Amino acid sequence: MKISLNWLKDFVKLTAPPDQIAERLTMAGLEVKAIDAFGNDQVMEIEITSNRPDWLSHLGVAREISSIENIPLTLPFGRGDGMKIQTGSVPDDFKLTLEEKESCPYYTGILIEGIQPGPTPDFIKDRLQACGMRSVSLIVDITNYVLLETGQPLHAFDSRFLSGKRIVIRRAKQGEAFTPIKGNDLKLTQDDLVIADPEKALALAGVMGGKNSEIHSDTQSVFLESAFFQPRGVRQTSLRHAIKSDSSYRFERRVDPEMVDKARDRALDLICQFAKPRQIGKVLRVGKKPKSFSSVIVLHETDVENQLGTNIPIKKSAAILSRLGLQIKLSGKKIKAVIPSFRPDLTRPVDLIEEIARIYGYDHIPETLPVTQPLFHQSSFESFHALIENSRDFFAGQGFYETVTFSLVKDPGPEMETFGNFPVAIINPMNQELNQMRMTLLHSILGVLQRNIDHQAKSGAFFEIANLYTWNPARLQPQEEKTLGLCIWGDWRPKNWLDTGRGATYYDLKGILQEFFDRKLGPDKIKFNSSPAPFMDQGVCQKILAGANELGFLGAVNSGLLQKLGLEEKVFYAEISLQSIRQELTGSSHFSELPKYPSMERDLSLIVEDKVKSGQVEEAIRILGGSLVIKSELFDIFRGDRIPKGFKNLSYRVTYQSPQVTLRSEEIHELHFKIAAELQEKFKATFQS
Amino acid sequence: MNTATALVEQEADIALRGIRSLDDLERLRIYFLGKNGKVTLLMGHLKTLAPEDRKLFGQQINRVKVFIESGISDLKEKLLSTDTPREFFDETLPPIAPRAGALHPITQTLREICQIFTKMGFEIVDGPEIETEFHNFTALNIPLDHPSRESFDTFYTPSKHLLRSQTSTVQIRVMEETKPPIRIIAPGRVYRPDTVDASHSFMFHQIEGLLVDQKVTFSNLKGVLNLFLRELFGSKTKTRFRPHFFPFTEPSVEVDIAWGSRSGWLEILGAGSVDPNVFKAVGYPAGKWQGFAFGLGVERIAMLRHGITDIRHFYENDLRFLRQFS
Repeated sequence: MKISLNWLKDFVKLTAPPDQIAERLTMAGLEVKAIDAFGNDQVMEIEITSNRPDWLSHLGVAREISSIENIPLTLPFGRGDGMKIQTGSVPDDFKLTLEEKESCPYYTGILIEGIQPGPTPDFIKDRLQACGMRSVSLIVDITNYVLLETGQPLHAFDSRFLSGKRIVIRRAKQGEAFTPIKGNDLKLTQDDLVIADPEKALALAGVMGGKNSEIHSDTQSVFLESAFFQPRGVRQTSLRHAIKSDSSYRFERRVDPEMVDKARDRALDLICQFAKPRQIGKVLRVGKKPKSFSSVIVLHETDVENQLGTNIPIKKSAAILSRLGLQIKLSGKKIKAVIPSFRPDLTRPVDLIEEIARIYGYDHIPETLPVTQPLFHQSSFESFHALIENSRDFFAGQGFYETVTFSLVKDPGPEMETFGNFPVAIINPMNQELNQMRMTLLHSILGVLQRNIDHQAKSGAFFEIANLYTWNPARLQPQEEKTLGLCIWGDWRPKNWLDTGRGATYYDLKGILQEFFDRKLGPDKIKFNSSPAPFMDQGVCQKILAGANELGFLGAVNSGLLQKLGLEEKVFYAEISLQSIRQELTGSSHFSELPKYPSMERDLSLIVEDKVKSGQVEEAIRILGGSLVIKSELFDIFRGDRIPKGFKNLSYRVTYQSPQVTLRSEEIHELHFKIAAELQEKFKATFQS
Repeated sequence: MNTATALVEQEADIALRGIRSLDDLERLRIYFLGKNGKVTLLMGHLKTLAPEDRKLFGQQINRVKVFIESGISDLKEKLLSTDTPREFFDETLPPIAPRAGALHPITQTLREICQIFTKMGFEIVDGPEIETEFHNFTALNIPLDHPSRESFDTFYTPSKHLLRSQTSTVQIRVMEETKPPIRIIAPGRVYRPDTVDASHSFMFHQIEGLLVDQKVTFSNLKGVLNLFLRELFGSKTKTRFRPHFFPFTEPSVEVDIAWGSRSGWLEILGAGSVDPNVFKAVGYPAGKWQGFAFGLGVERIAMLRHGITDIRHFYENDLRFLRQFS
């Protein structure tokens, strides 16, 4: 809110320079964001928190300054001579009818006739402009002026457009048409409160007046409204029709009921002074001013100390509260405080303590550390958190860059649903590109890849650890799962003067994952099973399993999807549920005795049909070798030359070792040949001479 | 000493002095110690001697052998250290770079903040991002239809769940399940339908902290947060505690740090003593516990620390950006 310093000077004597005033207001909770010169005035831009509607006026800010600086406050009421004009002479048959006491506990108005339209006095115009308001016409300017001065919204109707000599405060009819002064035509609902004459709605109560009774340049008679509308109703109407105004802003935060009459009289003063009306009517009132929520709060000196951690003498606290406009009765170490009508936010002792601390100064409260005991209910999240953070370190160490991408994505199509995943949609997205919570990290990571390729990256290895979100139709709940997504693309081993380079392969990604799982779960705990996964190429995709527990998958990204994104080379991608890994964690790893006897290596080369998978051969070697084969590794694949077409030569290095004895050369020889013979049988293999 | 051995020793002594290269040294070694070397041949004589003479002669041969061996090894060391390499070695050829990766700057900042608080005995906890109205608003003393909700615009799902607009939701979840004392920090993603610009994003990261115990004062809040800020930004960091309003704390405060050459104030976190209504919402008996809570934006802190001026860099993940934080 914009606050004019010249205006404040009407109410308090400002001796300090503006930046010092700004500093003190800031340190009392009215954060001054900027001070700007405006003509011969200075204007402060103040951020006013939603709990302090009483600060939404110059008078409110002046009252705060008077209590911070401990200086007197001069009120603007009853200075003018407007009230000298005879009242009560205009239509005495004009009536108010209040149908909705709940939404509008108190409504007042007055008829003013024979005003002389003239220019708005400069001081009003200047101050309005300083506060960011345009000058419209004398009457409207005066209502706005009083709003900014007192915080009480007023509304003036051109009374020549009123029919039936009656103002009714009623619910709108369902579908009732209404055209506000600013904005589109509205269809009202029964939940909206309107100010109406017997024929038509004239204003959306507390929000905005209607075009049908707007003040014009030739307006001569007005009906001036000042009322208390309940915050909730005004807020709902304002939200429902998406209309905000200076008036609704204040009503929905609650105005001071005591200001309803004072502000109206203040406006009347100004109108009499500058618009020279011929006649003014009697003040019409319906309803009752609402009471504060809690009128008396009791506070002990020890309450203050227990809350703040410092002793503030009760006399000092009493003085602070009294400067803030509370009526204080001090007895011993106890304060009895009567809360003024403009402070609906003060309902409990702790609210008073905050006021005391605020004015006493947060800076004067000492710094201390709490006395605490060690905690023994270590959170169950702690070990999971360690897993997440260690995984991050692992992949960064393997040459991956971590990404942070948005959890909101565009609907990726039905693919996920065919794998049994249902999305959590967003009903109020900012745009349709971000209308659901992601069920895979794939598209986000591909987006990162795309962007980097645009910037001439030649390779990319990215990972992200974030939640994936699905709708659980059985439990009717959204579900979140901490997931690792990672991809590799492009030059995996860049060419250099020592090595010829090569691109990323499925096996690079698989090798890193194998190493990751070996470290997290211990060696040989996981298996890769060929199986389809969303957005992966058929046949170039494996599930990662620990027993029956599915940990995730890896694969080559579907070439159709890559094409759509304009990516030419293959991208290899894996997605792993960290929650599933967590279930497999076994705690500290168990030590195995170091082997006492030497191991021996023997090579085995065999020619098999192309369709034979290396994994099958390897598994067969292990099974045939039993406990004596501790390792078998493919070290070469060869095609062409002497190998017939449709065949390949596979070379394995088999390591033999016994935990009990030193194996003799002949024993190994015998076993090795037995394995070779069995493989020959099983895979129709032949051997090179 | 036997003449034969003495002669061999003398010859070796002279030969060793004349050696200038490793090749010559090797030739020398073969000449004396090789299969048909002079010393080896002397050994052959041993068999021809009477048994009583063998012991002495054997010792003498051994002496000569040790003399030559040590001479060779000394010379070898000397020659190796001075001999020029056979091949020209270009030590300026470019090194072979390993594959390098890095953690995202958000992760790095998050970790640093979490570490400071874990040192002070806070535990790291987690909570769901898709939340209920109760945890995001009601229990945090943010009533429906109150303007205070305006600063918490929120994304909704068809099931009336919402994307949490603050990590304060985790306070509620932890208190619902745990009896004090509580000391937690909860890092995570939060969502607000803000238009994206250099300083706003509809998704960002926050860290929420909560301490609940029998006696916890506003003065303790100042102590813990000042300690944290000085640990993070340096021991000379100046802070100021400014009254503010949050529905779930009372008294509430915003904390600024002095920043930049003109030493302006920069808002860095929001905090306050836990509002009694929040304790009530999680079912704690009135007046039994006291506490304070705080929340801070991770991106903002990362931007300050690294001099990043546009928040969008964090979510674009340009390698040229990410590499700067390895």
